[in-house]
Amino acid sequence: MPVYRHQGRREVYYELYGREGDPVVTICNGLAMKTSHWAPYFEQLPRLGIRVLSYDMLGQGASAKPVLGVGFDDHAYQLHDLHEHLGIERPYVLGISFGGVVVLKYACLFPERIGGLLPISTFSELDPQLRGHARNLYIGMARVGFDYFLDLLMPLNFSNAWLERNAHMLELTKRLGVVGNELYAIQNLMESMRDFQSMTHELVAIRCPTLVLNGEYDTLTPRHHHDILRRAIPNSRLMIVPRMCHAFTLEAPALVARIIADFVQAVEQGSWRGDQSVWIAAEDPAAKDIATPYPEPFDPLRNLPLDREGKLVTGVTEAKSSGEKPRRTQARKRTGAKKSDKT
Amino acid sequence: MAEQGKAIRRQAKHYFMEHGLGADTQTRVTLFLQGVKGLNAAILARVEFQPFEWLPYKFLHNQYFKEVELSTLLGKGTQWSSNPLVYLAATNLNLALWRDTGAAKHLSGFFRADHNFYEYLALSHAFMAEIRFLPLLPPTMPLDTPFLSALKEIEEENGRQIQTQIRLLKDLDIGLSPEAREDIVEGRRAIVAALFETLLAEVSRAPSAEGG
Repeated sequence: MPVYRHQGRREVYYELYGREGDPVVTICNGLAMKTSHWAPYFEQLPRLGIRVLSYDMLGQGASAKPVLGVGFDDHAYQLHDLHEHLGIERPYVLGISFGGVVVLKYACLFPERIGGLLPISTFSELDPQLRGHARNLYIGMARVGFDYFLDLLMPLNFSNAWLERNAHMLELTKRLGVVGNELYAIQNLMESMRDFQSMTHELVAIRCPTLVLNGEYDTLTPRHHHDILRRAIPNSRLMIVPRMCHAFTLEAPALVARIIADFVQAVEQGSWRGDQSVWIAAEDPAAKDIATPYPEPFDPLRNLPLDREGKLVTGVTEAKSSGEKPRRTQARKRTGAKKSDKT
Repeated sequence: MAEQGKAIRRQAKHYFMEHGLGADTQTRVTLFLQGVKGLNAAILARVEFQPFEWLPYKFLHNQYFKEVELSTLLGKGTQWSSNPLVYLAATNLNLALWRDTGAAKHLSGFFRADHNFYEYLALSHAFMAEIRFLPLLPPTMPLDTPFLSALKEIEEENGRQIQTQIRLLKDLDIGLSPEAREDIVEGRRAIVAALFETLLAEVSRAPSAEGG
């Protein structure tokens, strides 16, 4: 089993696939994930010319689980040490959810040790809704149990289509989640963010090419969290993945592998443009173009259509019983978020 | 985790997959867990002499009675062995449990926020975190028998009870450096893991034609 000893003491488990010399993408897990969750990527990414490194953070999977926990920044230092240990100079670093915050921190702390960044389903600050979700998950885990924690996560992580398709597997999936994790260790990961302060103001220091990915229906970390990253990181783009929820890397691995590979290829070939624009991913992993620009004049932060003046465009009202003809309603002045500032 | 520990767990997994949990195995598991919970309850009984206002009182008082309740529940769900050698082996392991954990030093006097109390917290954390049977069973094995549902109940309840240990181990100030605290915690964890692995090794070496 491939392990290295972090600071000479704690075992960190990792897996590395692909040809030596190919660009490396390092994957950083979400909270209750482990290396094996990325198994489809271990096959697909090397076929697309990418070497892939996945590891379990301290507290996860097969890595050591310090009872007293570790500080949040330690996760980024641990990732840096793993790269040092393996002699990986400038990896592309991908992180989802909790792991997304870790890779943002990594990119801030080690700007010279990163070739590109892929923050997925993640955030740089906690707003009241996200704080509320985190609190519910924490209390659910600590006071009810790990089963319930996973019950809370399941409908946030996956789309209706996936849940229906895999209904027969859900109990088994949950049981594997319960027996494959140590409650206190996952709790430690959550508690490492107890004193988390917004790191949005630090993001301007990230200069590497950055592709931010967000599922269309991600209600745990919705669009605006990713838009904050897009606006704060100069060399970035935001890509929205249609019909997907929080854990779409598990739900659509072939599509995400293609997106990763295209991003890496663009950077390696010098064709990447970090223009802070917004894109929509294709749904077919074999599509000729894996993404298309988000169309004007629509605002990617809104679920409702707005016209060029930022006014809400509504449909046709129902015919009234009096026999009045259906009519189109007046556009109403938008009172919500500012019109997108995408460039 | 040491390689030997991993190998023992792999062997136990294989054994449970092949043989399930017959009466001999159930008896060994129950007597070990009852030994652990009995030891913990004996120490926790001291909490009844603490002032009611003592912050951890409520939590440890609750834990004391839960330990007794869960021990009884498991005993009730167990298919008991008729093999006297099973009880002999269990007694030997429970003697090692008292000896190796040094539990006797936690039995007298009042609880105070001191080194001794911290060691006890680390020990009881290890009991609840290290001793887990469900990860060793095939994930498709139904848990709807009285014995397995009691085991599941214990492991779920451990997740709730351990919150007291987690908070106190992290937040209790007894004047020790983080490294010294970690040494205590890791030391107790290693002792409990070794005892658990002894049980697993003995159980999974047992003849397959066990009773039940």
